Amino acid sequence: MRWWAAVEWIDQIIQKGLKSVDEVEIFYVEGRSVSADLKQKKINLASASEDCGLGIRTIHKGRIGSSSTNDPSHWSECLDAAIASGHLATSLPWEGLPGAKDISRTPLTFDPSMKVEPASALELLEQMLAGSEEHVAEVTAGSAGLSTATVTLANSRGVHYTDSHTGVSLSIEAIHGQSTGSEFDHSSFINKVNPFHVGERASFFAHESAGGNEIPTGNYEILLSPLAYAELLSSVFIPALNGRNVHAGRSRFVKSLQEPVADPLISMYDDPLLTGASGSVSWDAEGMPTHRIDFIKDGVLEAFAYDLKTAYRYGKTSTASAVRGGYGGSPGIGHHNFVVDGKRSSIADERTVYVHSVVGAHTANPMSGEFSVELSNAFWMEGGVFEEPIRSAMLSGNVFSLHNEIIGLSHESRSIGSLILPSVRINKQRIIGK
Amino acid sequence: MPGITYYDLRHVTGQITHIDIDNGIFESAGTTFFNKAVLRVISKTGWGILQIDNYQPCTGRKFDELLQNACSLAAITQEQVCLGEVSHGVLAVPAMKEDPRSVSIEEKSAILSEIEKGAIHPSVVNRRANYIERVEQVEFLDSSGNEYTYEMCRSGFNVLAVASRNDNTQMGYEREHSIHGFNLRHHQTLGKKAADIAVALLDAKLAHGGKLKAILDPELAGVFAHEAVGHASEGDLIQEGNSVLKDKTGQKIGNDRLSIVDDPGIPEFGFDPVDAEGVAVRRTEIIKNGVVNAFLHNRESLAAVGNGVAGHARGMAGEPPLVRMSNTFIEAGDATDHEIFEECKDGIFLKGSRGGQVDPGRGVFQFNAEYGYLVKNGECTGMVRDVSLSGDILTTLHNIALCGKNRKMSPGYCGKGGQSVPVSDGAPTILLCDAVVGGSGMD
Repeated sequence: MRWWAAVEWIDQIIQKGLKSVDEVEIFYVEGRSVSADLKQKKINLASASEDCGLGIRTIHKGRIGSSSTNDPSHWSECLDAAIASGHLATSLPWEGLPGAKDISRTPLTFDPSMKVEPASALELLEQMLAGSEEHVAEVTAGSAGLSTATVTLANSRGVHYTDSHTGVSLSIEAIHGQSTGSEFDHSSFINKVNPFHVGERASFFAHESAGGNEIPTGNYEILLSPLAYAELLSSVFIPALNGRNVHAGRSRFVKSLQEPVADPLISMYDDPLLTGASGSVSWDAEGMPTHRIDFIKDGVLEAFAYDLKTAYRYGKTSTASAVRGGYGGSPGIGHHNFVVDGKRSSIADERTVYVHSVVGAHTANPMSGEFSVELSNAFWMEGGVFEEPIRSAMLSGNVFSLHNEIIGLSHESRSIGSLILPSVRINKQRIIGK
Repeated sequence: MPGITYYDLRHVTGQITHIDIDNGIFESAGTTFFNKAVLRVISKTGWGILQIDNYQPCTGRKFDELLQNACSLAAITQEQVCLGEVSHGVLAVPAMKEDPRSVSIEEKSAILSEIEKGAIHPSVVNRRANYIERVEQVEFLDSSGNEYTYEMCRSGFNVLAVASRNDNTQMGYEREHSIHGFNLRHHQTLGKKAADIAVALLDAKLAHGGKLKAILDPELAGVFAHEAVGHASEGDLIQEGNSVLKDKTGQKIGNDRLSIVDDPGIPEFGFDPVDAEGVAVRRTEIIKNGVVNAFLHNRESLAAVGNGVAGHARGMAGEPPLVRMSNTFIEAGDATDHEIFEECKDGIFLKGSRGGQVDPGRGVFQFNAEYGYLVKNGECTGMVRDVSLSGDILTTLHNIALCGKNRKMSPGYCGKGGQSVPVSDGAPTILLCDAVVGGSGMD
């Protein structure tokens, strides 16, 4: 179904749904993408997709139902399934979907110059490969992808918003002997990625990590790159700021509001209106106008994230934190651009263990925060220079208590998915040598 | 069509039914529908691939247009792709004891609710239970005239209990997933089991890091096989030069009694009646008596690398297939549990898993146990939590000292290239010497 046709059908779905339920919400996405993959230094495949999907949510006497389909011409069956699903749900306090607000309609993550064409992917791959030539390493795999999508949210209270997005993503892997390196980049804007640099970093880490020495078991000051920090932060710390997890007892922060939970150096916030950031959006997945949320200010926990359902249930206010992973299912609580900030300094001057990434962060205990991960591309670093690689070791600790030991944030930040993070220098972390 | 040397189309339609109960509240329940296809062509050099949402089967000029679109994508490819010679054929999908579609969602909800209520305990602050049922109708055809269709249903549930005391929060997690039909009945005790583990973990100690002897239960030993050997034996990684097992065929990397197998044809959670390229599935003995024996392949990697078995191409609906594991396991040995604990004497006994990860090129893997017990003088003593192990693929397999008699498979999902596919991992209980254990416990 094409976009112009969908608009007409959306009103039909809402009108039909209102004959059976109190409220109806429609989420419709239509997009296309192109990507090309390397096998070693040659392009092995090119692919293209055209996607569409319809998600319907119904609310009747506090019972929320949902269904979805990627065949929008069958919207009537999808609507019936959503209504039927509502019959099974427990009735919860519900004060209504939002009405239409005067929200900026200017797309925040759309690049009109982005060409979603195979030739664009080819050019990006060629630049990555050129960058990889800067160091002695063999490229094993790589990928470049471009996409564009139009998202529509409409509800029976008069909301009818549309937004357009574009995206470019790059990744490359390299090996030197038995030493691997990889790098990636992504943005909504074609000019904000640097494919040459991505290729150069992958081969740098593969080459420079070779021939490392062991490290004795002990406690060390470490410097986590934005990537390594993101891997630990995203699976444990950020879910603990989710209001639903907090009220359900699945968060370490249940009793921590207005308490210090990190070093005073640290602030964490969600800024959905950040210029140039790939998660920027004027309205959340339920049509609430977005705004900045300060979760942690100078180390003190100040707020949790809420969607409408959780806010109504626990007597709170939505923080416009509803997000969708796609058109399927119901919206859930997430973030748009999650930023870790604070006073910046030169954190790589004194000798430290630099950790570029880790293996196994997703196995951390999401409740207690305990983790034990394998280091990847770790080095002794001094004066900002990668001095000697560390062959192999484990890093063990607790993601929550680690935040009380942060002693410095780097000047530069980097986007990792929807996270915008500096490198962090941390005291007294346990490294287990082999 | 001129220029096209091969094409195949895999069309998957189906529906997903789910139920989510959170602390006694039915958060959501219902059904969603999907219809996806992937069309692949080889034209002159490499692959041109179209991923099609809401595919309507077509022939003649309309299908030719799709082929032409895929062909034009392939114009930018540079690598000459060849496909290995393979055999075709489809296994029968195991019959279901009870078709989940014959059970109303109201009844499913009621049974799931009983499992969730089983986790009620004074120290448990949160209970959550999910049911998921996925039915797929698969149609495949290729340019050589091979065609197959089949229907698969996978269903199962998870139950989570979160226990809390002071600032200590722990969780217990149980799951059952199956291809054998509706499997919610007769599992009411699993809610209680999840709660008991969560509460017991409140008193467990953090493990100390270091090298020690570790006994792995069948679930954890299965994850070990998956991470330590399975991924590194995937033919696409070998072809790319991103596996330490490249050029190691015939080399001994484990003890004589160690054999590790992947078999998509056995009726476990990773079962495939035929692979995603229409190739007949076959048992592949990756490690045989400690020696690197065969790699897992799709048609492309079989032609490029050799030394292995095709039939391991798998893909999510609408996604290009990749070389994937299915049912991966360590073959049973001859040791009794008593012998394993006696031989261990002092070490750690680890149970369950929250998963793992591997860097196959570097040959380093990590995997995690849900909990365990310190072993002293061959006996289990105090409970420990949050234990991870890491190792080196080319050396760690030599450290498997004993394999137990009884192999058990556990269902799960495996991620690669942005795709998640159902798998099962299994093993007997094993004894691993010089295991590198990560833990932040201090004296």
